[in-house]
Formats: sequence, structure tokens, C-alpha cells
Amino acid sequence: MSFKKNTDVLLKIRDLKIQGYSDETWVDIIKGVDLTLHRGEVMGLIGESGAGKSTIGAAAMGYARDGTRIVEGSSIEFDGIELTTSTEGEKRALRGSRIAYVAQSAAASFNPAHKLIDQHTEAPVQYRIKKRLEAQEDAIELYERLRLPNPGEIGFRYPHQVSGGQLQRAMTAMAMSCRPDLIIFDEPTTALDVTTQIEVLAAIRDIVDQFNTAAIYITHDLAVVAQMADTIKVLLRGEEVEEAPTDQMLENPQEDYTKSLWAVRSFTSEQKHRPTDGTPPLISVKNVDASYSNGPKILDDVSFDIYQGMTVAVVGESGSGKSTTARVITGLLPPSKGEVLFKGEPFPASYKDRSKDQLRQCQMIYQMADTALNPKVQISEIIGRPAQFYSGLKGTALKTRVDELLDLIELEPSKYYNRYPPELSGGQKQRIGIARALAAEPSFIVCDEVTSALDQLVAEGILRLLDRLQNELNLAYMFITHDLATVRSIADEVVVMQNGQVVEQGPKDDMFTPPHHPYTDLLLSSVPEMDPNWLTTLLEERGVDNIGDAASAKIDPDDDKVEGTQV
Amino acid sequence: MIFVILYFALLLLLSCGAAYYNQRSAFLLLFSLTLVSLVLAIIGGIPALRFVAIAAGMLLAAGMMSYAFREFLTALASDEMAKELRTAPLTAAFGMFVIFVVAIMGIFAPAIAPYGEAEIVSQAFAPPDNNMLLGADQLGRDMFSRIIYGARNTVALALCGTVLAFILGAMAGLLAATKGGYFDGFMGRMADVIMSIPSLIFALLMLSIFGGSLASPQTSSWLLFGFAVVVGLLFLAAAAYSLVSWLVGAAIVAGVAFAFALAGTTIFNASEIILILVVAIIYSPRVFRLTRAVAGNVVVMDYIEAAKLRGEKNWYLIRREILPNSTAPLVAEFGLEFCFVFLLIAGLSFLGLGIQPPTADWGSMVRENATLISFGEITPLIPAAAIALLTVAVNFVVDWMLHRSSGLKE
Amino acid sequence: MGDILTLVGKRLGLGLIILLVISVIIFFMVELLPGDIAQAVLGQSATPENLAALRREMGLDQPALVRYFAWLSDAVTLDFGSSIVTDARVTEIIGERFMNTLFLAAYAAVIAVPVSIVLGVIVALLRNSIFDRVANVISLSFISSPEFFLGYILILYFAVKWGMFPAIASLSEGMTFFGLLERTFLPALTLVLVVMAHMMRMTRAAIINLLASPYIEMARLKGAPPWKVIVKHALPNAWAPIINVVALNLAYLITGVVLVEVVFVYPGIGQALVDAVSKRDFPVVQACCLIFAATFILLNLAADVGAILTNPRLRHPK
Repeated sequence: MSFKKNTDVLLKIRDLKIQGYSDETWVDIIKGVDLTLHRGEVMGLIGESGAGKSTIGAAAMGYARDGTRIVEGSSIEFDGIELTTSTEGEKRALRGSRIAYVAQSAAASFNPAHKLIDQHTEAPVQYRIKKRLEAQEDAIELYERLRLPNPGEIGFRYPHQVSGGQLQRAMTAMAMSCRPDLIIFDEPTTALDVTTQIEVLAAIRDIVDQFNTAAIYITHDLAVVAQMADTIKVLLRGEEVEEAPTDQMLENPQEDYTKSLWAVRSFTSEQKHRPTDGTPPLISVKNVDASYSNGPKILDDVSFDIYQGMTVAVVGESGSGKSTTARVITGLLPPSKGEVLFKGEPFPASYKDRSKDQLRQCQMIYQMADTALNPKVQISEIIGRPAQFYSGLKGTALKTRVDELLDLIELEPSKYYNRYPPELSGGQKQRIGIARALAAEPSFIVCDEVTSALDQLVAEGILRLLDRLQNELNLAYMFITHDLATVRSIADEVVVMQNGQVVEQGPKDDMFTPPHHPYTDLLLSSVPEMDPNWLTTLLEERGVDNIGDAASAKIDPDDDKVEGTQV
Repeated sequence: MIFVILYFALLLLLSCGAAYYNQRSAFLLLFSLTLVSLVLAIIGGIPALRFVAIAAGMLLAAGMMSYAFREFLTALASDEMAKELRTAPLTAAFGMFVIFVVAIMGIFAPAIAPYGEAEIVSQAFAPPDNNMLLGADQLGRDMFSRIIYGARNTVALALCGTVLAFILGAMAGLLAATKGGYFDGFMGRMADVIMSIPSLIFALLMLSIFGGSLASPQTSSWLLFGFAVVVGLLFLAAAAYSLVSWLVGAAIVAGVAFAFALAGTTIFNASEIILILVVAIIYSPRVFRLTRAVAGNVVVMDYIEAAKLRGEKNWYLIRREILPNSTAPLVAEFGLEFCFVFLLIAGLSFLGLGIQPPTADWGSMVRENATLISFGEITPLIPAAAIALLTVAVNFVVDWMLHRSSGLKE
Repeated sequence: MGDILTLVGKRLGLGLIILLVISVIIFFMVELLPGDIAQAVLGQSATPENLAALRREMGLDQPALVRYFAWLSDAVTLDFGSSIVTDARVTEIIGERFMNTLFLAAYAAVIAVPVSIVLGVIVALLRNSIFDRVANVISLSFISSPEFFLGYILILYFAVKWGMFPAIASLSEGMTFFGLLERTFLPALTLVLVVMAHMMRMTRAAIINLLASPYIEMARLKGAPPWKVIVKHALPNAWAPIINVVALNLAYLITGVVLVEVVFVYPGIGQALVDAVSKRDFPVVQACCLIFAATFILLNLAADVGAILTNPRLRHPK
């Protein structure tokens, strides 16, 4: 290499092209991306799924996943070493010691057969940077810096004995074990709840600062990247859209695509209120307890009402009992106590005992459109079957109805009629799922995290569609979600759940104005905001020890505000 | 000597050619063949070298045959099938070719075989001549003709056994996965119990009681009828939903089972029916396990939940939702199961407890002519090799199908 | 550790129940016989007096349930009654033969298990290389060949053509251990070839299955060399499937032995079973079946217990 070595630049990627093998041909995944990272700089890579963020992250280590290859002519230069022409051995010597990796799911990325600390010390011992015992002491120090509980002891546990948020921090510590020059964070908080996410974010930011490590932070969450990165690079389908320092990017995005990403959160439906003429609620959940086959109680005295034409958002973290409530309403899980009323009449507890007309009233839309649609059945039959089953439509009448439904969900009937689900995109599949629910002509639809598996733009389209359908067909929705932004945009009423109990409920405008129940408060304040100083401010306000698990543990369920705010 | 020089010259030329054109794998293959030949020539002399050369030549011929056969199939098949076939490795093409040949042999056996299967045409153990391609067996029957007929008898029996095992096991598996609960648990335990008796041993036990040359026609037709009724009841349990449909269904089942037993007894003799039922009973738990597992992965999908919530009946769930998503692994399992059944029947016949003489059958032919081995003759090995060849062929095809349905793993 | 003990205890109990159910099947299956045992033994031409006498002698005048419990309680003390054909005690007929069979199976297992696991790991390391493909084809061929085919090929070459080993594995008094090993080499080799192919393939599959896990990618991205990825990161998690594979194949050895014993005229329990089946000597058949089934269950049990013991999640409860 003849050009002058710039000590300031750590990683220089030029014209990176990566191909993936599918359907017997090599397809371009990354189409010529440039990237320059300086020492100590944190760069956020942001984009929707399929943008190639993660692939670029792995390529920065000279690593191509199985079934992908780096095309000749690409250049990845790490601290003066050209990775594309290095031998496997030379690249291996960099990994772990000078470039480290933090994976999305720490629970799956720690080997279940070894203790955390043994996995931590593997790299330093292998590279003869430290002796085993030294490395262990160092690990304990790192655990302490990352504010893990019991730093002296936690490393001697096996991965399954440690919680998700703690594992993610332990993995960050492991990446730090050789004090690398560069760490790749691949969606490190995506699998975590918001309240847990915040402590992991704080810990990662601190440690990267302390050791002045350069990092590539990969995520699809704009608000998260705003907290972490110095510069942001936006990617779309394997190509760079634009790159700028964080402040500039947030205030003044240049490209249309970036602007559209920023604008996503602007959609809000008009808030509706309960009818005052005394009509009974469409669905009424009354004092329901439920558990799975003699296990512990999942739901504890849950009650709320859903009125005709309104959207009730049920919010809570994983394990709070949101989805179980939906299963009780649909009849998949008969409650052990309490009942569900439909227009004031009790609904049979099990779906098996419900009549065809009762079954049609209550439909469901699922989170994963992939598993919600049978891949081996044509679209026309997926949508047509409920119409045929409930309304007895046949022949041309059925075809007309299917066309009508496809029109309703804004898909061209002639184009999609004979296709199969695997040929469609995620958003299109979700639309088919909606059409299948509509085909039954229901009055009430359970939407279980319908937008959380989708990219923001697509999700926004789905929300608009659902809102339009609600107004046209006077549908009631039970909207299960953990995403408060979604709640803000579509809900009329909000139910907050924690550990199987309803902690607070009421109209949306009330819920988003203080005073809150402490848990609602914690949830609301833990949602990252676009302001790059949000995390800093929050930490100053609450202190580093009062976030995440520690904070939710402090909430007293008998707090008087619980009574005070209930409707 | 000239052979040796020519042989090595050819090999070296080919490997250099491969190296020059950057065909890495071809070069490795050729050059390792050269090295092996060299070592063997030093140890074993020219005969060993000749053996290697013949073996390599046969492999090459088999490879070329498979390649040509694959091209032949792609030319015949529809566009979509052709695309699939083009991905088939040569081993799979070879497998398909062998299956094709055996099928032709079985179907047109009387036309191909020069003599009848039980026809005595010369004295015992007569050596091969112009009339008898492979010589005569221990009673003076033509070996070649018997091998042709054996393809028909052995394969037909194994195929029937596999089909029955499959209908019983797959139906029970699908039903257990859809119904769940106690039915599922009970069937699972039953499969556990049957599978904890080693298959060959269980077969021997059942044959000692019902089977062999002493099998009585009444017993076998009753057993066949009973088997058909059990399968019919499983179908009924899946399809019927009211008392009336149960009654109508039961009548239909009884009728169909009777017709089935009648047809079975006219096609096969008593000991063959017993043999088919024995393998069907032994292998149905395996099919049950697999189907239960495959269908179990499907029933947890949200689209099944959606269909259940719509109020669909079990029969619709099985037919329209579960089955279309389970066919690929089930087809592969059918091939695998066929191999097991085929080997079991061959083994039983070899022990003299399976297909009874004078019916020509590959397994018993090995046993009848085994004494020839001690004279260094390979004749008794030919039917054994035929068994191995067909099983390998099916396995090759199954291997490809499994690989394809599992996607590009590694 | 309490968790593990209860799990193992449950598994043992289940094994016992299955064995009991199998004993019921084995016993009552014979009852299904058209006519009864006496009829089957004496044939159609037997006089009523002879039949009655034989029935009394065999205790057939008692109800089946009574006879079942008598048979079971005797079987627990390893007494299986006496043969119908020769009148000798069943235990005497099969006792020594069972030891011979165990010896042959153990001989094959000692060679096959370590070699095939090592080969399986190597093939997993070299997956998708030429070596892997060739190994795949060869192992598939061995799996597909009936035991008697392999056995006769070995006899043809090693015994008849080259005269290196004896073709018939008969045993005689006072053989040295090495003499014994030499005598039984060909039958053992036949078994080894079949079982090894199976085990190698399954070991490879078990490891390759794990290679797709995120923690393997993590290990690679930590800079661990390929052999270390397999040995340190994949293998400890692959023990459960591998133990299962080994047990399954040892169980297969026990049955594969029947055909091999017939080919090599080896005085094992398999030969005795085949003879008994063709002579319809039911007490011997029942005894052999019960012994084979018990061995089979025991091996499966050992595999399950092994899998429980090597599972880190169970060994280190929360």
C-alpha cells in the first residue's frame, strides 16, 4: 500500500459489494457502500430490514456469513490492514482482540455450556494478552463498570441463570475484554423491553466513552441511534442514502427518504369518546383470572370495556399478560374466574362452544404475518374461505367479494388473486391478514402487535389503513402493543398492564398527561426520544441506579395513585 | 506392462489438464486416484491395478449414465420440475436411474425373463452359458430369470408394506397433532412401546405366531380386515362430527374394509399378507412419530389458530391446512421407510422366515446359494448386491430431497 | 441436583412400565395363536388325549392371567421354563449364547463408537468438501447394504480368496483371548461397518445442526480457530444428540447381530431365536424377545439419563 497512513482513520470501507446466494444465483445485497470511521468515533448505521446494516457490520470484521460473499474489488481497510486480501488466519487474529462484536440476542449468543467468565476470558487468554486469573479480575472490573449486580459473582454463572438485560451487558463486557479498537453493536437492545433497554444503552455509552473505543452501532430505531452515535449513516436496500453528524441529521435531513423516516411519527387519528346514551360496551372483560394448565396466575382480576367503533390499546412489557387477555377474549384460553360479555350477553368461555355468528364477530390479526398465513394456500382462498364459511358465498359472488376485500386493503385484485403468501412483502402479507379478518364481517378485531415486525413506513401504512377501515365499517379494535408511539397515534383509550394486572386505564389524552401511575410514568419516560440529549437528561434526573429493573422493582403496587387514576 | 504405462499416462494427463484449467475438485479427485493406483501397484502388482482401473471405469460409467439420465429427465419434465431436477446431484440421478430400471424389470418381468421363476432348466449349480447368463441355482433354475422375478416380488411386497404403514402411521400422526390432549398422549405412548421392541425381533415374534409357511388363509384375511377397520376408524375419528355421520361412516368403513380384505387375499397368498401386515405394524409407529413431529410444527402456526377460531372442523384442518405443509418431509420419509421395510423383508427372507419358496425373492436366493461362497463364486452375492443397489438408490434420492426441503443449511 | 434426580427417577419408572407392557404383549401375543400352543406343537393329526395331556403338562388348563403372572415372576428370576421341542431349560439354551452375543456386540462397539465419533467430527469440520461428499456416498452405501451382503463379501475376500481370517466363527473350549478376537473378527467387522456409517452420519448432522446457532457465530467472531469452534463450542452442546446416536446404534447392534450370527454360524442368542421361530418353540422365542427388548430399553434409558446429565441447563439450575 503506497498511500500515506492516516493514524486518525481506523476503518475505511470503499465500494463494498456483497452478494447472497438464493435461487441458484448470486444476488447483490450491498451495492457499493463507502464508510470511514475515525478512532473513538461512534457511527450509527440505520435502515429498515433488508437494508444490509448487519451484513456491513459483519463485513467490517472481514466476515461473510454462510451463503454470502464479498465481491472482488471491494476494499475493507482496518488500521492499514486490507481485510479482503488477508488470509483467514490474519483476519482471525484481529477478531476478538482488535475488533469485537456484540450480537442482537445475548441469550442465544452465549454458549449455554460454559460459564460467562470462561467465555469472557477466552479471547484474552488465546491472544496471550492476559493470564487467566488476570483476565478474570479484569472481567469483574468491567462488570462493575457496566453496573451489573454482584460483579464478583455473576460471571461464574451459566447464561441461562442470568436475565436478558444483564446478559447483554455481560456481552458488552466480553467485547471489551481485549480493549479492542472497534466494537460492532448489532441491534443490541432490539430484543429487550423499553425499561431494560435504557440501562443497557446507558452502560454501553459509558463504557465506549471511558475507553474511547470506536463503534458501529446498528439499529432500526432512530431514537436509540440518536442517543448513541456521533454520526449517522442511513441505508436503503444495500445503498447509502446519506451520512451526517447526529445533530445535523436530526435537524436537517437532506434526502426525501430520510425525511420520510423522520416524519413517520406524525400520524394521529382523531380521538373518539365513549357513547353517553347508555349502550352497553361491545366487549366487556369482567374480573378475569387466567392461567395455563395449573401454572401460576397469568391474569389477575383484569377488567376493561371496549365500545363500538373505538380503539383500546393494551400496553405493557413482555410477560405483562396482554396477549393472554386476547386469548381469553377469543376463547382460546377459558378463564379460571370472571367472564367476557358481548353487548351485555355472556360469551361462552371456550371458542368450541361459540356459535358461528359469535365466532365471526370477533376476529384476530397477528404479529407475524409469515406464520399467520398458510404459505401453501392461494390468496383468493385465504380471503375467500371465511366469506364462504360464514356467509355461504359461492362462485362469482365469492369472487366479487374477494375482489371487494382486496380493493378495501388497497391491493390490486387481478394481480394478487392467484398468488401465494411467500411471494408477498411483509406489509402486503399483513394486509391480507386484515382482509381475512374483514371477510368475516366482524364487529371487533384483536390486533396483536400487528406493526411491531414491520418497518416504520410500512407500519404507518397499516395504521392508516386500520384507521380508515374503522371509520368506514365502525369496527372496534383491541390493539395490543408495547410501542407507545403506536398508542399515541391510533388509540382512543389506553389500558396499562403489569404482571397480569391492569395498573391504569383511561382515555388517551388523560393517560399522556401527568400525574401518572408510577409504572406508567416509568414506561413513558423509558421510551427513547429523538432528542440526542434525552438519555443524558434522563440519567441526570433519575440517577444511574434508578432506571430499568431497579426502577420497576421499586414500584409499590398499593400506591394510592393506582386507586386515584382508575376510571 | 503396456496397460500400466497407458493407464498412468492417461491419469497424469487428465490431472494436469484439470490443474491447468483450474478445476480444483476434478484435479484433487484425479490426482488422488493416481496416488492410490501407484501405491496399490507397488503392493498388489498389476492385478490390483487392474482392479482399481476397472472400479474407476465403472464409477465413471455410472456417473456418465446418471448425467445422461438427468439430462433425459430434464428434457422430458415440465419447466418447474426441470428446474428442480437440474439441482439434483449425480448421486440422486443415479438413484432415479436404478429405481427406473428396477421398476421396468418388475413390471415387465414375464417379458424380460427367459424362463419361469420356478422352472427347472438344468442341473444344480450349472455354470453360466449362452442360455443362462448367470448360471443355475441349487435346484437348477435360471438365476437371471429369478432375479428379474425377484425384483417384482420383493419390491411389490415392500411397497405394499410401506404404503400400509404410511396410511396407518400418518393418519394417526395427523390426528394426534390436531386433536392433542389424551388421544395424542395415548398414541405417543403406544408408539413408544412398539418402538422399544427391536423391529427384527418383533417381526420374528409375530411370524412365529401367525406366519411362515403355516399361515392360514382365514387368519390372514381376518387380520387384513381388522387392519383396514382400524385405519377406517382413524379416518372416521377425523372426519365425523355427529352421531349420524359416525353411523354412516362406520357402515362405509366396514364395506371398504371387506372389499380391501377380499382384494388382498386374491392378490397375495396367506404368508405374504402376514408379512405385509407385520412390517406395516412394526414401521407405522416410526411414521407416526415423524408425522406427529412435522404436523406438530405446523399446528402451532397462527394460521391454524385462525382456522380453529373460524370454527373449522378437524378434517378441514388436516386436509387443507396441515397436509399441504407437511408433504415434502413425508415424501422423503416414505423413501426412507421403504428402505427399512425392504431391508427387513430381505433379512427375514434370508433367515427363511419371509417370502416362501418357490416364489423368487432376492433375500432367500442369497440363503439358498450361500454354499457357493466357499468356492469363491460371487453368484449368491448378485441378489444381495441387487438389494443393496436398490436401497442405495432410494437413499440417494431421499438424501437429495431431504437436503432440498431443509433449505440451504450450511 | 434434586431436579436431576427426579427426572432420572421418572425416566427409570417409565422404562420399567414400558418393559412391563412389552412383557404383556410378548406373552399374550402367543395366546392369539389360532388354536393354542399344544395344537401348534402337535399339529392337526394329534389325538384329543395327547392334546389334553400336553395342555395339563404346560399348565394350559389354567386361565391366561394366572399363567402370565407365573411366567413373569419366573422371568424376573431368569427362569423362562423349558423348551417345547427339546425339553431343555430355556435358561441353559440361551444363557451362554447370550454372553457370546454380548461379546460380539461389545467387540464391534469398542471399535465403532470412538472411530465413528472422531470421523463424524472430522467430516463436520470439512463439510461440503470432496472428502465430505465421498464419505457421504460411502456411508450411505454401507447403511443401505443388508448385513448378509457385507458379511458374505468379507467372507469371500478375507476368508476364501485371501485366507486371512476364518469364515466360520465357531467357538471352542480353551481358546485364547486373541484366538477369540481373530475368530470373531469378520462378524465384528461386518457389524462395525454398518453401525459406523450410521453413527458417523448422525454425529455429523448433530454438529452441523449446532453450527447455525448464534453462539457459534459469536465464537467465530471472537477469533476462535475452526477446530476450537467445533471442539470447545459445538461439541459440549452436541453430547445429548451424540449419546442418543450411540445408544440407538448399540441397540441396533443387538438386533443386527441376528443376521450376522446366521451368516457366520456364530453360537449366539440370535441363532437360537431364529431356530426357535422356525420350530415354533414359544418359550425360547418369548425369552429371547424379552431379553432383546430389555437390552434395548436399557440402552435407551442410559441415553436419556446421559442426555439429562450433560445438559448444562439441568446441571446448573437457576
